[in-house]
Amino acid sequence: MVKGIIAKSLRDALELRKDSTFVPYIGGTDLMVEADENKSYLFLHQVPEMKNIAEDEEFIRFGAACTFTEIIKNPLSPMILKQACRQIGAPAVRNMGSIGGNIGNGSAKADSALICMVTDSKLRLASADSERIVPIKDFYLGRKKLNLNPDELIIEILMPKHGLENYYHEKVGARKALAISRVSFAGIMDIKNGVIQNNATAFGAVSDVIIRLDTIDNMLIGKTIEEAKKLRGDYIQAIGDAIVPTRGRVGIEYRKDVCINLLKSFLEVSGI
Amino acid sequence: MANEIRFKLNGSEIVYTGNPSMRLVEYLRGEKQLTGTKIGCKQGECGACSVIMDSELVNSCLVAMGRVNGAEVTTIEGYSKTEKFAALDKAFESVSAVQCGFCIPGMVLASESLLASNPHPTEEEIREGISGNLCRCTGYNSIVKAIEIAAEEGSGLW
Repeated sequence: MVKGIIAKSLRDALELRKDSTFVPYIGGTDLMVEADENKSYLFLHQVPEMKNIAEDEEFIRFGAACTFTEIIKNPLSPMILKQACRQIGAPAVRNMGSIGGNIGNGSAKADSALICMVTDSKLRLASADSERIVPIKDFYLGRKKLNLNPDELIIEILMPKHGLENYYHEKVGARKALAISRVSFAGIMDIKNGVIQNNATAFGAVSDVIIRLDTIDNMLIGKTIEEAKKLRGDYIQAIGDAIVPTRGRVGIEYRKDVCINLLKSFLEVSGI
Repeated sequence: MANEIRFKLNGSEIVYTGNPSMRLVEYLRGEKQLTGTKIGCKQGECGACSVIMDSELVNSCLVAMGRVNGAEVTTIEGYSKTEKFAALDKAFESVSAVQCGFCIPGMVLASESLLASNPHPTEEEIREGISGNLCRCTGYNSIVKAIEIAAEEGSGLW
């Protein structure tokens, strides 16, 4: 039995993906923690189409196999994404770990996936026969449950490039390096001429999937700073009611308090 | 797309035909007897298994052999033949930055990786550079000092 296959092109990779016994492998930093020598991997690190970082009118496009180090070094990467990637693991983990793997691993603690959520990024998924673009929010169906067919791969992440300048990001971990998020938060506030154009928040490591409460966030969109200040209490209350932390190693009450405190800090730095 | 894995190890061409899912660290220690690379945690947490792969620091416990295809790998044994190693060796010795020694091969390669991209790091940058390498003996201060000394004394090497 073949124990592993190295794909050299996207076409190769998608053909090989038809055999769903192969586990897609990019950086391996999550997969290899449970290293099972009986597992068969589909190695994707030499697929050139998955290594690009490029931009078009609307998006920065990250190939799924781009490492965190490559993202940090690339001038096209938005600051909010760089900041989150800098706090992942330690240098050796960032040199191997990839954005596509971070998303595909399906963890609500994934630090780069948090940024993809708050920016309402889209994923380009492909199989040998078809291709589709899925908003990342619709990609996560539940704990480790992904909207990904057995013959599909995540090829590219499309991150909107406008309106990301005013952001707030905080990762709460138990230590400085090699920390796994206890709670993570990202918020984006885009204000033009005193009117809120966009307000987006995402909470990681709290629930089965990263929480993105866009309907509640929309309460503040279209409002002036003064109007938003009046809505502040109701907004925080609504977010607080909607966040229901799952049981984990870290207490539920604590994590909820941290979420609300981070939300308040985000509003404060945004002038609300 | 092949079962044959080709890569360079300390400058020598290697053709590996074994299990692609095997960890690189197991291969280095078990099949090549390159035991300078240590096994600490097998979770990417301690950095004792650090090697340089394509000019970047990686945890060899988190690298499957299939991922090594096409890469250049340098272990502490290969690195110890270089002038840069000599500068780090001298600096580590000068401030007694080595106690039990278990973390040191990884520490030295993390130092190399840092200095290669940043020849004159600040103390904070040094601490960030070795943040994935745990030492349970020294409290890090002497290691940080050693890297500062190596950067100064070995100026021009990196």
